[in-house]
Amino acid sequence: MKWVYRIVALIAAIVFIAPLVWMIVVSIKEEGMKIVTLVDWFTPPYSFAVYDQILSGTKLTNWILNSFFVAFCVTILTVAFAAMAGFVMSKLPFRYKSFMFFLVLAGLLIPGEAIIIPLYQVAKDMSLLNSYQGLIIPVLASPVAVIVLKSFFDGVPNDLLESVQIDGGGTWRIFTQIMLPLNRPALASMAILTFIGSWNNFLWPFLSVTNDSLFTLPMGIPTLMSSYSEDYVKPMVVNTIASIPIILLFIIFERQIVKGVSLSGIKG
Amino acid sequence: MKMSKLRADAQALLFLLPFLAVYGLFTIWPMIKGVEMTFYKWTLIKKMKYVGWDNYQRMFNDPEVWAAIWHSTIFVILTTPTMIVLAISLALIANRQSRLQKLYRSVFFLPSVLSVAVASYLGLFVFQPYNGFVNSLLHLLQLLPANSELFWLTEENLSWIALTLITLWWTVGFNFILYLSAMQDIPDEVKEAARLDGATDWVLFWKITLPHLSPITKTITMLQIISSFKVFLQIYIITGGGPLDKTRPIIQLIYQTGFRKNDLGYAATMSYMLFVILLVLSALQYWINNRKGANA
Repeated sequence: MKWVYRIVALIAAIVFIAPLVWMIVVSIKEEGMKIVTLVDWFTPPYSFAVYDQILSGTKLTNWILNSFFVAFCVTILTVAFAAMAGFVMSKLPFRYKSFMFFLVLAGLLIPGEAIIIPLYQVAKDMSLLNSYQGLIIPVLASPVAVIVLKSFFDGVPNDLLESVQIDGGGTWRIFTQIMLPLNRPALASMAILTFIGSWNNFLWPFLSVTNDSLFTLPMGIPTLMSSYSEDYVKPMVVNTIASIPIILLFIIFERQIVKGVSLSGIKG
Repeated sequence: MKMSKLRADAQALLFLLPFLAVYGLFTIWPMIKGVEMTFYKWTLIKKMKYVGWDNYQRMFNDPEVWAAIWHSTIFVILTTPTMIVLAISLALIANRQSRLQKLYRSVFFLPSVLSVAVASYLGLFVFQPYNGFVNSLLHLLQLLPANSELFWLTEENLSWIALTLITLWWTVGFNFILYLSAMQDIPDEVKEAARLDGATDWVLFWKITLPHLSPITKTITMLQIISSFKVFLQIYIITGGGPLDKTRPIIQLIYQTGFRKNDLGYAATMSYMLFVILLVLSALQYWINNRKGANA
């Protein structure tokens, strides 16, 4: 039984990693070699010439930077906005609170994909197409993040807040010095999920940007690939270069990412 | 908290303002604007003319729309159960005591961090005939005769299989982690006690682990249905919606109608249909989750 488990586990792991290994191996294969069997992909001659070609001859690195820049801005602002809103809805009394709550809950039901056509028109009317602002601003409101963070903020005892207030702390201080530090894991979890979401966001950049200096990876890659017909090496070089930064990030932050994902399952 | 009511309201508004401004302008307003668009002939350049219910009538009689909705549904049917089974299986593997435990966790999650475009193009080449990874592997293992090829991307049934496999590989990581952490929540004493009573691994899985996973399974199932229904880029890259539009999902049709055929009004109308479908699915999810809460 133990051996069956070990073999199944090993096969599963190999199946998961094999496409990535193949991607890297093909990417360093010299171009134009005759391939008869699978083994031929793995044998020399190797060459990094295509890497040079792609790094200097295309906008791929530019698009990687764009992807990181957009994802970074979107993550910081989305989580900040959601935390502020979630804090108010959890801890501050104000009129129309239940209406607000309803409005945000309703947002959970509105899929971005279903309003993308009118969103295009709205962004066009506001001259937001073809700009970094246009890539970033329209996606900053995340009702999911508001609801999740609110539910975490609800867990902070009111006594604690009141004791700070007696000490003369204002609302902003309560927010920045108690609520945010106490809920760091929840904020990190939201940040990670937002980052991955933005990293993979395709539909909105695809519709709103036509200038190739503003492309993010999900749009840039298809543009590049469509010019490489019948070729394996160039596309795999593109794939490899595009994946290296995010894989490195994954290796560095694996523990946090895994924690963040599992935390999202508890309250989400 | 002691404050004058007006001041409290003003303060709350300040905190809410950034979120509300973006939410109002780029979610609520487009939703309202979208209703207007459905009643017009509306191109990428400008609003053309009022057409009443024409767009709706056209939609309900448009076989392409129903075909696309059916293709998205096929994708849901193919990916949801397989996703659940695969995620649970991988979690079982990574949950066993082993020196490689951590490695398994990383390897199963790794594809999830790839960009959707990378995952799709990798899939496209992995399933290419002749020199693609899968076909050459099958040749090497002699599972496929040397002179025959499987055309994964141009044959209707095979393309569905390829699309499903690629999507599972790329996205199972998240659900795998959710299951893994749910499994690790099962107290060791419960398992020990069951073992002392002579329960085998098999019994342990069916009687203890699986029931414990049932709440998270409900959530994952509904979320998977919704996200599979919204599939677009994988299919767009891998099969282009082909062969002969036989795998084209609804979002691709909306995109093509709006931006290729220059008919935003009609595309907005289809978006509303999609909206209603997703609304029903979300409501269903909400209902299932709440019923679960009531039972607990």
